[in-house]
Amino acid sequence: MILTPKILARLVLIGLVGVLLQVSFFSQVALFHVSPDVLPALVVSIGLLGGSLTGAVSGFSVGFLLNSLLIEPLGGGSLVLLGVGYLAGIFRERFEIRSTFGAPVLCAAGTLLAELGFGAVALMLGIDSGVSPLVLRDMLLKSAFAFILGWPVYAGVRRALRPALVEEDSGARQRRRPTVLGA
Amino acid sequence: MYRKQVRRRRAVLALLVLGSFGLLTLTYGRGSNGLQRGVSAIFSPVESAADRALKPARDLVNWFDETFDARGENSRLHDEVRKFRDEAVAGQAAVAENEQLKKMVELDETVPSGYRPVSGRVIARSPTVWFADVTIDVGSADGVRVEDPVVNGDGLVGTVSAVTGSSAAVTLIADGSSAVSGRVVPLGVEGVIRPSVGDPNDLILDFIDSARHVHAGLSVVTAGWRTEALASRFPPNIPVGEVTEASIVEQEAQQQVHLRPFADLRNLDLVQVLTGGSRG
Repeated sequence: MILTPKILARLVLIGLVGVLLQVSFFSQVALFHVSPDVLPALVVSIGLLGGSLTGAVSGFSVGFLLNSLLIEPLGGGSLVLLGVGYLAGIFRERFEIRSTFGAPVLCAAGTLLAELGFGAVALMLGIDSGVSPLVLRDMLLKSAFAFILGWPVYAGVRRALRPALVEEDSGARQRRRPTVLGA
Repeated sequence: MYRKQVRRRRAVLALLVLGSFGLLTLTYGRGSNGLQRGVSAIFSPVESAADRALKPARDLVNWFDETFDARGENSRLHDEVRKFRDEAVAGQAAVAENEQLKKMVELDETVPSGYRPVSGRVIARSPTVWFADVTIDVGSADGVRVEDPVVNGDGLVGTVSAVTGSSAAVTLIADGSSAVSGRVVPLGVEGVIRPSVGDPNDLILDFIDSARHVHAGLSVVTAGWRTEALASRFPPNIPVGEVTEASIVEQEAQQQVHLRPFADLRNLDLVQVLTGGSRG
């Protein structure tokens, strides 16, 4: 990804809108008693398109903003989401995603990883109470929602960052018809 | 060149990880900080506007969820209506007596004495299953302080855990860090209500009184204890939940009962913060 000030501004806007939508909408709706979590999918999408460094920085920033808006201790969300973004970026750097299911599957996996990470942070901070087995069901359902939401989220982020994507440009170049001299 | 890039990438990653741990260490258990107050001041109006604008869409999605639930609940509610009708008849006499007693001790009908209710709306909610907290659109400018109890029309919701000028974080009674002293009525058995993390419909009351057997259907309210130097952060007699399951373990000195909270902690909209009060 080629980071220009314009692309940076777009990334900031994507993060802001994503966090606001999450806390004001997705966290407050429930399907089968579980609220979807769109933020890991968003960070995974940025990581897949921008690479490990962009993914990690985006994850850190999105987590920081999330904790700030919820007036929670800072750092927990950043730690988890930066890991998710970094791993998504590493995946993109090592493997090529050919299948259309690739990004949604990775969004689901990223969400599951993020929930496990949040669990680890909660345990690190100390949980005095028992943990319900329903946590497992909730985490799996969140991942299933992330698989469904992963399609539009990845497509939306890809569209917003299109001018910065090197592969998009090379793809367009390949599709362009060759100039035949003398024709 | 490539090695240099890898080194730089690792350095940034290490910096971010260290930064996260540093932030966590500096801010955990210390309420709100200047940075959060600043961010909150900027984003609170945006959050409020987004919350109101997205309410119709939220209601639509939640309508689907509730419709699925309603199918299963229909027959259960029929049974409950029959049971409550019987209880209501018996309760009318008690209500009349209670009204007289209330007048005698000059208790407010809705708000515990000494507390001033401040109404607020939930504008944000934590996305993960591990933390049960919400943000409301009233803060220190409205008189809200850390540890103020929060209720809604059904019962106890949680406590204020951090405050900024225009918003406050409320830790729900379903959060892993929550502990509320409760009393089973009318038995009078007292204990500590703790959550079962990940299941907001299940709370657990731990108590030490094997002589009295608690059974399903009894209500639990806040105990609101007070000593000379200390007092519970919750005023007494705020409804918390109904006993759903009580296993009798004769061998164990400590007993546990499961409660279903009266307040629907998944769908919170309007809440009241009980400000003021006299805590030790």
